[in-house]
Amino acid sequence: MAESVIGKRIPKVDSREKVTGQAMYAGDYRMPGMYYGKVVRCWEYASAKVKKLDFTEALKMPGVVKILGPDDVTKKPYNTTVMKLLVPEIFGEVFGEIADLNIFNKIVKHQGDAICGVIARTEEAAERAADKIKVTYEPLPVLMTCEESKAEGAKKNGYLFTPLKPGNKAFDLPASFFPNQRYGWNDKDGKTAMELFDKCDYVIEDTYYVPKQKQCQMENHSYVAHYDERGRLNIWTSTQMAKPVQVLIAELFELPLTRVRLVQTIVGGGFGVRLGMIGEPHCCAMAMAVPGHPVRMEFLREEDWVASETRYPGHIWFKCGFKKDGSPIALDSMYMARKGGYYTHGSGPPFCFAAFIHGMYKWQAMGCQTEGYFTNEVPTGAYRGYGNPQLAFSGEQMITRMCKELGLDELEWRKKWHKGIGDETWLKGVTFASDGLNDCLDVAAKESGWYEKKKKYAKQTGVKRRGLGVSVMQHTSGAFPMLLEHSVCTAKLNEDCTVELMQQISDLGTGGHTAITQMAAETLGFPMEDIHLRSGDSDMCGFDIGAHASRTVYCAGPATIEACESVKKQLLERAAQLLEANVKDLQMKDKIISVKGNPQKSISAIKIAKEGVYNYIDAATGKTIGIPGQIQGYSSFFAKHCSPPFGACISEVEVDTETGEIKVLKLVNAHDIGKAIHPPSVEGQLEGGAQQGLGFVLTEEYAYDKMGRVLNNDFTDYKMLGPSDMPDAKIILIESAPDPIGPMGAKSCGESALMGPIGSVANAIFDAIGIQFKEAPITPEKVLKAIKEQGLQK
Amino acid sequence: MASSRILPEFELLIPQSIKEAVDLLGKLKNKASVMAGGTDVVISCTKGFGSPNVISLAEIPALDYVEYDSKSGLRIGAMATLQQVADNADVQKRYPALWKSAAINGTPQTRNMGTVVGNIMRASPSGDCICAILAIGGKVVLRGSKGKREVSIDDFYIKYRETACKSDELAVEIKIPAPAAGSCNAFARMTRTTLDLSKVNVAVRLDMSGKTVKEARVAIGAVAPTTIRLKKVEALLKGKQITDDVLQKIVETVPTEIKPIDDVRSTAEYRRDVAGIMVKRIILEALGK
Amino acid sequence: MKKRAITLTINGEEYNLNVPVHYTLLQVMRDQLNLTDVKYGCGRGECGACTVLLDVGKGGMQCKPTDKKTTYCTMSQSKRKPILACIALAATMDGKSITTVAGLAQNGDLHPVQKAFVDESAIQCGFCTPGMVLKAVSILEKNPKPSEEEIRNGLEGNICRCTGYVKIVKAVQVASKKTATGKR
Repeated sequence: MAESVIGKRIPKVDSREKVTGQAMYAGDYRMPGMYYGKVVRCWEYASAKVKKLDFTEALKMPGVVKILGPDDVTKKPYNTTVMKLLVPEIFGEVFGEIADLNIFNKIVKHQGDAICGVIARTEEAAERAADKIKVTYEPLPVLMTCEESKAEGAKKNGYLFTPLKPGNKAFDLPASFFPNQRYGWNDKDGKTAMELFDKCDYVIEDTYYVPKQKQCQMENHSYVAHYDERGRLNIWTSTQMAKPVQVLIAELFELPLTRVRLVQTIVGGGFGVRLGMIGEPHCCAMAMAVPGHPVRMEFLREEDWVASETRYPGHIWFKCGFKKDGSPIALDSMYMARKGGYYTHGSGPPFCFAAFIHGMYKWQAMGCQTEGYFTNEVPTGAYRGYGNPQLAFSGEQMITRMCKELGLDELEWRKKWHKGIGDETWLKGVTFASDGLNDCLDVAAKESGWYEKKKKYAKQTGVKRRGLGVSVMQHTSGAFPMLLEHSVCTAKLNEDCTVELMQQISDLGTGGHTAITQMAAETLGFPMEDIHLRSGDSDMCGFDIGAHASRTVYCAGPATIEACESVKKQLLERAAQLLEANVKDLQMKDKIISVKGNPQKSISAIKIAKEGVYNYIDAATGKTIGIPGQIQGYSSFFAKHCSPPFGACISEVEVDTETGEIKVLKLVNAHDIGKAIHPPSVEGQLEGGAQQGLGFVLTEEYAYDKMGRVLNNDFTDYKMLGPSDMPDAKIILIESAPDPIGPMGAKSCGESALMGPIGSVANAIFDAIGIQFKEAPITPEKVLKAIKEQGLQK
Repeated sequence: MASSRILPEFELLIPQSIKEAVDLLGKLKNKASVMAGGTDVVISCTKGFGSPNVISLAEIPALDYVEYDSKSGLRIGAMATLQQVADNADVQKRYPALWKSAAINGTPQTRNMGTVVGNIMRASPSGDCICAILAIGGKVVLRGSKGKREVSIDDFYIKYRETACKSDELAVEIKIPAPAAGSCNAFARMTRTTLDLSKVNVAVRLDMSGKTVKEARVAIGAVAPTTIRLKKVEALLKGKQITDDVLQKIVETVPTEIKPIDDVRSTAEYRRDVAGIMVKRIILEALGK
Repeated sequence: MKKRAITLTINGEEYNLNVPVHYTLLQVMRDQLNLTDVKYGCGRGECGACTVLLDVGKGGMQCKPTDKKTTYCTMSQSKRKPILACIALAATMDGKSITTVAGLAQNGDLHPVQKAFVDESAIQCGFCTPGMVLKAVSILEKNPKPSEEEIRNGLEGNICRCTGYVKIVKAVQVASKKTATGKR
């Protein structure tokens, strides 16, 4: 074996092109004959009916090619998500999955809804023509809360977002699947959580609010679509889910898959926002209207805010019962989520919220009910964490409050009562195979000085108060067995004994391409530079789900490994034949295959590879020289498990009690990675996730006016933490619990990073001033108001 | 609809002298906006608040000066960037309030583009340099068709986003007197994150005689339609030594002098609650406490 | 005027352009010149993805301090300054010289800052990287040995949503050490 590349801090495979500016993002493509497509959106209203659409003046503008209205494109309704490909049809029906979106719309359900599209020779011409389009609207009721939506939906002839969802209820857990419409379990005597509260010594009940957060990926959504002379629809897009989106496009435009080519360009950040379609239908519809001309479409930043999905905001109710010693007895809960204008990921994040409660602690019984109501907001969808950040803010604060009131150490409680090996994970019937949480907690406690500082900060006076908070989490590695997790890899051995991997790996910047290349190199024993991953083009790659649910290394990695093992096996088999030896007696090192213990008896793998392709007949003997046939390895891999990783995070904050300002001084996040294939990438996920988690808990939220229009659709007023706002962040990778199922022991890390910072900062603020904040983000305004009203509680 | 990528069309005028610029302003009156670094004018265009004519000062020679003289004080030319002011040792030493208001303004990129005079002329109620200069004191030098005039910063802001500069006048310079012995000044602001517009900003100038305040100027921004001076607070300070009692009285007085509003950056209530604390803290900071 | 003839030097190459006066520098670079290494991120000067370095006239720099137009060239400092292409009007840039990330490497050798970004895995999605690298270069040109706080303050105005800035700060520190010891 060559020296192992697993766990090595090597440069990422795509870093040189990115650091020199050569990396091409979808918005960077320039093609001959290219037109520009602009979607005209409704900016004035969040809820309205299009009464009249007048293109007369706009069509007279120079450079305009065509303008498409709702009747000029397919009226087939669609859903932006790929959910229907990931579950059996019956499952989708039971969960109430619907398609309620059109490419161009006659009813505006949120600010930014698409009305029509302008195709012009330049972006400027499209922009000027768009200004001349006259749209006459009739305003409809603006419903911005679940209560308003529910009340309107209950009225006779009240406004309904879709006839498919009576009462404007977008989603709840189907009773046919979930007793009491709750996800959870009963105690050993069959009692529900609700029935156990009487037996508890201590019951705590409260409601929390979680904000509408935006992914804020740096690359705006951009596309080029080209309906070419062969009648193929080509689309270049930065979607996270290349293959499934190809299928959705084919279905929407009723084309066979051979006539839809989707090229995933370099993705400038995803975080869930590109989990499905965004502008693809619009760009493709415009391209199909001008065959032969590529159409480029690039979102404006302000468009991203109103026309791509966000995190689910809403209210979370918890009731938890404990014994005096802290033993967890019963948990009942309800997540009332604001859906936004369309169904999209209607079932996913609310269900997953319940699921992540399911996977965390050893209650005797637990139940969680979730509901979503349509509102006239930007639709909600996938955002890194998918329900789990909401739990981190609410559930972890509940636990800490209980510990404080019962006089228990919150860190020790978590060590004692979290689920572990053999217990059920977030999904019923699937049990944990590995558990590194206690190690995470121990290491984080040590690194943060938990016990010493807790003591030190117990009695503080003065204006500035410090506090420490802890938070734990479990997440998932891929979504099996709830959802399909299928990845295909073809490993082609070139005639010079280098390898092309053809596999649709979505690397959103996460390091997925690097880790996959490392796993291939490791399996083959070849150097990294002899492996090249070709990804992105549906003409070349087999099926793959794409990037979601922290799956790439865990679900796609095994396909890579299997395909490379097959290449290696074929090489060894040919060597065995040529050396007249037994396969099991052979070894390969530095591309030399030899008989163990007899290094003289050897053959070069390069020779085998070359002779497989350039296979000539020996003129003297009339026989082939070497063994014919180019070697290819192949795998069509289905995940076997979801190996949830654990994590523990401790934060230290300082609260200015005169101004309510919060400073996060230090953050220690220990993550149960199992095995880090590329440690800098894993650290990078956790470091970057901290910035998003801290944003969730401290600064980030949509602001709306009374008309339902977004007030902060730019970075001026939607505030994320900048480089000098970030605390000293210490990331610790725990590898003491390699996963028996994960490839090379690996579990996931992509989404895990947000939860710890969210829960631990909320808890640290609670620790510092004794007041728990139930609404995120926790702003200085809320802190000061609470101090004013309640006084310092510590 | 505005676009953050495609600007609306406008006429661009690039005068080569102050006179030419003033003539253009005289001709175009309020149908023109004056652009120095472009950080306000261009961004306004992306939000649909464009002007049919833009007069760029980029090519008028020798307007990018920051000069200090112990007699005449500080002069900042209309094209001097925020970064030039932030990099100036005299400013840092003698006018820490102004220095800080420039050094934390926007980002390194916008500081290289935007100007102090531009910040003054934008007349935003949350403008950081405005707050600093209102506390320190100074004059805006205006050039118009009828010649030159100087307007005290105290009289410069009339109402929300409106200044004493007439539509045919060009602000060419800010003049700030040299600090007297015993005078100190400081500036602070409160934001949601480091890179942000101020939710409240405060600045003070204290002319001290030993431990006694001879004269005080206290300015506060983002709590009224314009940046304002806190006259009652100034009166409380004048002739006094800074004691806890005085400071406590100031904390209580500040909210009575301001009229903040709710916006996306903060609430009226919060601004009222912290304004006094901020004033107290900036007084102590100015005195080096 | 509706259009203006300007001379603009980008990465050492001189371009004679006729630009509509309402075009931003970003638009001219991306749409007229296909220089797509300069990115559109927000269009309002908040994110820094479109950062370019304005060369300032001094020996070796490419600015032409020949006439009154080059106001920046008369300024006190001699280092390259980061500015934002999305809010700079191209028509006001006559005679200026700028550097983009594509112009940093010399003869195929990465600039020490670029190399440090690669070595420290300070790049994730890469979209902020061109602007971030240029910003880092300007920080070190102004102050070869910045403290961590100075680096963080200097990086303000360049938003990264992937890294939490941890490895970016580290990369600037590494580049600072390398350049200080003359290693490349």
